[in-house]
Amino acid sequence: MAAPVLEVKNLSVDYVVGAGTFHALSEVSFEIEPGRVLGIVGETGSGKSTLAHSIPRLLPEPPAKIRSGEILFRGIDTLKLEKWQLPRIRGTGVSMVFQEPLNSLNPAYRIFDQIAESVRIRQLRETGKMPGILPAGEPFDYSKRDPPKASDVLTKPLVPSLPSKRLRTIIKADESMRREVLEYLRLVRINDPETILTLYPHELSGGMRQRIMIAIALSGRPSLLIADEPTSALDITIQAQVLTLMKELMSEVRTSILFISHDLGVIAEMADDVGVMYAGHLVEFGPLEDVYENPRHPYTKALLRAVPNRYKTDGSLPSLRGTVPNLSRIPSGCPFHPRCPLAKPVCSKDPGPALLPAEGSRIRGHLAACYFSKDVEALP
Amino acid sequence: MFVGKRLLQLIPVVFGVVTITFFFTHVAIANPCAAWTKARTQAAIDQCKATFGLDQPLPNQYVNYLSNLLTGNWLTSPSGLPVLPQILNALPETVELVLAALLIMIVLGIPLGVVAANGAGRWPDHVVRTFYLSGWATPTYLAALVGALAIGPALNLPYKYAFSTQTPPFPQITHFSILDALLAGNLPAAGDAVLHLVLPATALAFLNMGIATRMTRGSMLEVLPLDYVKTARIKGLSETWVLYKHALRNSLISTATVLGVTAGGLLSGTVVIESIFQWPGIGRYAYNAITNYDFAGTIGVVIFFAVGVVVSNLVADVMYGVLDPRVEWR
Amino acid sequence: MAVAEGRRAPGSAGVLSGPMGVRRTLRSLRPGLRGFVRVMRANPLTLLGFAMVVVIVVLALLITILPIVGQALLGRPLSILPYDPAYYPSPCPGPIVNNVTVCSLPPSAQHFLGTDNLGRDMFSRVLAALPLDLAIGFSITLFALLVGGSLGLVAGYWDRPGTIGGVFSVMILRLADVFLAFPSLVLALAIAATLGRDLGPSLLAILFTWWPYYVRLVRGEVLVVKQQPYIVAAKAAGVSDVRIVLRHVIRNIIEPVLVYFTLDVGTVIVTFSTISFIGVGVKLGVLEWGNMVEGYQTYLTSYPWMVLSAGAAIFLTVLAFGLLGDGLRDVLDPRSRRALAQTAVPTTLPIAAVPAEA
Repeated sequence: MAAPVLEVKNLSVDYVVGAGTFHALSEVSFEIEPGRVLGIVGETGSGKSTLAHSIPRLLPEPPAKIRSGEILFRGIDTLKLEKWQLPRIRGTGVSMVFQEPLNSLNPAYRIFDQIAESVRIRQLRETGKMPGILPAGEPFDYSKRDPPKASDVLTKPLVPSLPSKRLRTIIKADESMRREVLEYLRLVRINDPETILTLYPHELSGGMRQRIMIAIALSGRPSLLIADEPTSALDITIQAQVLTLMKELMSEVRTSILFISHDLGVIAEMADDVGVMYAGHLVEFGPLEDVYENPRHPYTKALLRAVPNRYKTDGSLPSLRGTVPNLSRIPSGCPFHPRCPLAKPVCSKDPGPALLPAEGSRIRGHLAACYFSKDVEALP
Repeated sequence: MFVGKRLLQLIPVVFGVVTITFFFTHVAIANPCAAWTKARTQAAIDQCKATFGLDQPLPNQYVNYLSNLLTGNWLTSPSGLPVLPQILNALPETVELVLAALLIMIVLGIPLGVVAANGAGRWPDHVVRTFYLSGWATPTYLAALVGALAIGPALNLPYKYAFSTQTPPFPQITHFSILDALLAGNLPAAGDAVLHLVLPATALAFLNMGIATRMTRGSMLEVLPLDYVKTARIKGLSETWVLYKHALRNSLISTATVLGVTAGGLLSGTVVIESIFQWPGIGRYAYNAITNYDFAGTIGVVIFFAVGVVVSNLVADVMYGVLDPRVEWR
Repeated sequence: MAVAEGRRAPGSAGVLSGPMGVRRTLRSLRPGLRGFVRVMRANPLTLLGFAMVVVIVVLALLITILPIVGQALLGRPLSILPYDPAYYPSPCPGPIVNNVTVCSLPPSAQHFLGTDNLGRDMFSRVLAALPLDLAIGFSITLFALLVGGSLGLVAGYWDRPGTIGGVFSVMILRLADVFLAFPSLVLALAIAATLGRDLGPSLLAILFTWWPYYVRLVRGEVLVVKQQPYIVAAKAAGVSDVRIVLRHVIRNIIEPVLVYFTLDVGTVIVTFSTISFIGVGVKLGVLEWGNMVEGYQTYLTSYPWMVLSAGAAIFLTVLAFGLLGDGLRDVLDPRSRRALAQTAVPTTLPIAAVPAEA
């Protein structure tokens, strides 16, 4: 099996704001294997978005502060990179689709220019004219071959060129560029792409803009695509369309994906593996079916139980007592223990339970951070 | 269409400006002839009053003045020189000065704003802020005096007039000194004109630097956290490219607007700067007219100032439309 | 963040409560104070500006009050000025160069800023001018705020076309447009020149050109505030317009106005000194910084400390207000505050306040 595209080890991120320190991520570890889709699910404020932004180092630092950990992307620790090296892993390495399509396109430029920019960066890197990680290449499938060795790219520039010169080449648009941009617009199922090319973002609907954003992200042919709640801001019908599109694209463009959502149903639809987050902790991780059908953490169980089920018509929805802790005062030990029906005195002792192979699950790779994971099944 | 509508709005503004200035000058100083003629005899003063129509009742004077203005006769100064041609000759010099100052503000002030926004709350921000606030806190005359009397001689830069010789050795066709020199094919003279522009334009720009820098900083701070900046970063673009192509492009919309509006402030500054640097523009003309109780000259030059302010606001609006594709032209 | 939540949360205070006004106002000051501390901590330059403004105001008060207090209590005037600003030794004790006594001494331990061409202590002279310049700055800004601000309030709030208020507001705006078309200094100069060289006329001249800016500023803010849900709610609840304006609108436009006001005090001081410098401001010999620069300008190259100390006084005073106002703007002005808040905290807040039951 090929090496994982992304390994996150013990990642802890704080926000140091005037009022205090918020522990947005605590000791989060997981990995994504080539070609697989990892879904991360959790409530608002559980640290999903922070996790998504920390991988390509898009967190605003300060106030964000990466306290500890490693993020190994294709073997490169992105946390050790200098600021000037960061662009080299982005675009062709990691790309991202954001939550808010209304803001994620630059209002001042036409759609063509915005897609062409990312296509041009990839082309320049492919031809060795601009330093940076090489794209995944056709057919985007790392399960078939090892990813190109990436770490060299960061230490020595392929061609030491002045930025301004690089910039000028990006502006140049020719017929082949037009064809390539059109190709990506068709890829995201946009009707009449010729017209769309010449429009500005404000002339398009939210769903259209999110498609364009997906096209931009894919046009770099990234080895890892991060989708941070890509449909949450859209109307419900548009949401379904975009999800269907992404689902179809996944089988066409077999890149690794980190899919963030607060919606268990969306994750079920999209992901191969799933990670559950609570108060900045990754509490459960494993193959989708096993986690959903056989949860090994009381929080996951509660979360799944809270999903409205059309077969259950008897009475009210179950709810969980207590509230999500304030991230500046996360409970000691297991962050979930104040609300947990299984809590014992040991649960409040530091350090809390580690993410270990879950007792009671025979599936390899199903991990849970709970001392009593084998008792979870007995919970209602 | 849009421009035409805006220019139509100019008419009431100019009318108001003329009226206000007319009554202020004519009511407050009942007898300017005493100052003009320096004559002591009543006969000489009466003679002067008759010449300038000051013996008429005020409303009549006003109507007379307006009708003269509309027919293109802007009357003459007490010194006997006609007002309009003098102002028209001086105007290009001031436009040249203001444009040069704007250029310095744009070339220096906007990147400083980007630097400040990028380092918001840290030392680059503090340094830039202190710099532009210093410009704002320096009185125009002090900057001009120090520039003219200390910095000019020290750097061996010319600090008087628009040329080394008071009447340039070539025909002044446009009265833009650099342009005239180039038209005459006189390269050394053009260089000379540029050198003469350096000190007054820098002084004017330094005093107003804050406007460009602060606005750029503020709008950059608004733009930088937006998702499309993240989009630009995630494409793999370098930080410079992200800042200057994606973020600054959108910040410029508000900066350009403010710069346009600022032109009025720059015009104010020219009054003092041109007097001290003896720049032959309308600022110096205004200064002389005001201090010599030259009514016709004052009203005339104030009209030009007001038109300048309104036109620069118009240019600002047009810039806004050009820079922001979301604006629909009506 | 507490700053952002602290002051501008009128809706939360309850739109319709009335009699508890005083207590509530007092309570609402507390987060303001905390916010103030945070502003000062956040940016050292703002703190510096604030400290400078405090020092300047205290100095001005001491210079004005001490002689009066001293006269009343001790029978002789007290002063913090080391010398009488008008006193010059005759003949002055300076060195003789080319048979001419040079009275202008460079800065020394006796005379911090040197002496002028008549041997008068520059430090005392510069300080003695402080109360006047500061008073000019404050009084013109206050007057402009009162006149322009109330016109702007009316023009912004009662602007429905067809009503009396609408007609009135159009008239105000047109008039303001005319005045805004003048570069303010040119108009002020013209007025000051025609009214004659004295303090009163030149104050009037600046005031004439100053009020329209406040019309524009306040009207713009009112137009924004008017759309806010809490105003709409108060209207729907039948609260009278006057009451809405006095209780809710004013309170919610006060912060951007305060920022502008702080910066404007500095602008007025500079503008007034310019008018003085040109020779149409205060009477000759009055201790005012612009006037002093004008009087000393011929000595700029030979005895630079004379012009420079008067110039530095203007510069430092105006810079103090600039540092304070510019720093306040970052925190109080809704536009830049929003921007800063966004940089400070990522789009999804790391604070989990959503109950799981939801």
